[in-house]
Amino acid sequence: MKIVESVFQNLSTWGLPVLVLTLGVVEFSLGLYKKHWDNNERILDIVCYTVPKLIVRPLVAYCGLKFLPLVLPDFKGAFEWVPFWWGFLIICVADDLTQYWYHRLHHEVPFLWRFHRTHHSAPYMGMAMASRQNIIYTLFFSQTYLTTALVYIGLGYPALFAKGVKSIITTLAHSSIPWDKPLYQNKWLHPLAWVLERLISTPATHHAHHAASNDDGIGHYKGNFGNMFFLWDVIFGTGIITRKYPSVYGLQHYHHEEWYAQFAWPLLKSSKEGSELAANGPMVADETSTPQEPEPIPHTTAIPASGHIVPG
Amino acid sequence: MKMQPQIFRRIIRNALISVFIYALPVLAMFLVLYVRGERPWKTKAQHTVHTGHHRQP
Repeated sequence: MKIVESVFQNLSTWGLPVLVLTLGVVEFSLGLYKKHWDNNERILDIVCYTVPKLIVRPLVAYCGLKFLPLVLPDFKGAFEWVPFWWGFLIICVADDLTQYWYHRLHHEVPFLWRFHRTHHSAPYMGMAMASRQNIIYTLFFSQTYLTTALVYIGLGYPALFAKGVKSIITTLAHSSIPWDKPLYQNKWLHPLAWVLERLISTPATHHAHHAASNDDGIGHYKGNFGNMFFLWDVIFGTGIITRKYPSVYGLQHYHHEEWYAQFAWPLLKSSKEGSELAANGPMVADETSTPQEPEPIPHTTAIPASGHIVPG
Repeated sequence: MKMQPQIFRRIIRNALISVFIYALPVLAMFLVLYVRGERPWKTKAQHTVHTGHHRQP
């Protein structure tokens, strides 16, 4: 248990950045970003990766741990008695369901779309774009506040493990290395694939969320909102499982807006005509980001040889 | 640009289901503790009183 504890403690400090960097180098070396990673994208990805880690999260944690004792003085360590595995389960559900809603609302409420658009403008998948978010989206990111509150009320220890598991799943779901492919290619692994793809986000289901189009029957940018758990998409009927990967990622009408506009809109605007991030830009410019009712997953589903879900 | 009414209705419906999902693990924990006759919060309170780690009323 000491070894596991040490792994997760290191994961929450230097472990995850090392994992992300290693995967990023492998992806880049394998040419998985193709020729899409130009200077503008590169600066945006690096700024989005570093600013939250160096400024936003430490600032929120510091202010939160100063502020919480003032407003909730009797709750400090009040839930330390919660058994570890129950604490782990409660945090996994509370954290990831909250993020599911935060994410889903940014897609389904037109006013919120532009705060999340930066994450979808990348024409590639991988470690480079996994942390790519507008600063306002990052500032209001519910998990940052939830973690601070959990540590304060005494659930910091199970939170360490829940966050660690979540980081690994979401990082690998964004990776351009399709680790889930063998699960679909080997028939004897299909039962495991069936469970995993409904329980957690995989490259296949999360890449579909980043597709530039739904026309190929693989892309599903109007759904597959789950981060750690895909189960929320199954329960709420917002998911599609195809076991395939989209051929084109990003936004259909991407204007390659300046990195600073993508990072700091609406504080900084884009000069690109017709862009959603321009001074007089539309709230939702193209079909790609127009929220529509997705086809819900029936509760009884079957995956035929073609890999597409059909009603059971 | 306004949200489509069917999207709004679905969000409300799913949000209500979410309240139940949030509560589920907490309720399950208390149910299991109740069945086993365990009261870990009392043990913790006694421990803090004995060790003086908690403020006395």
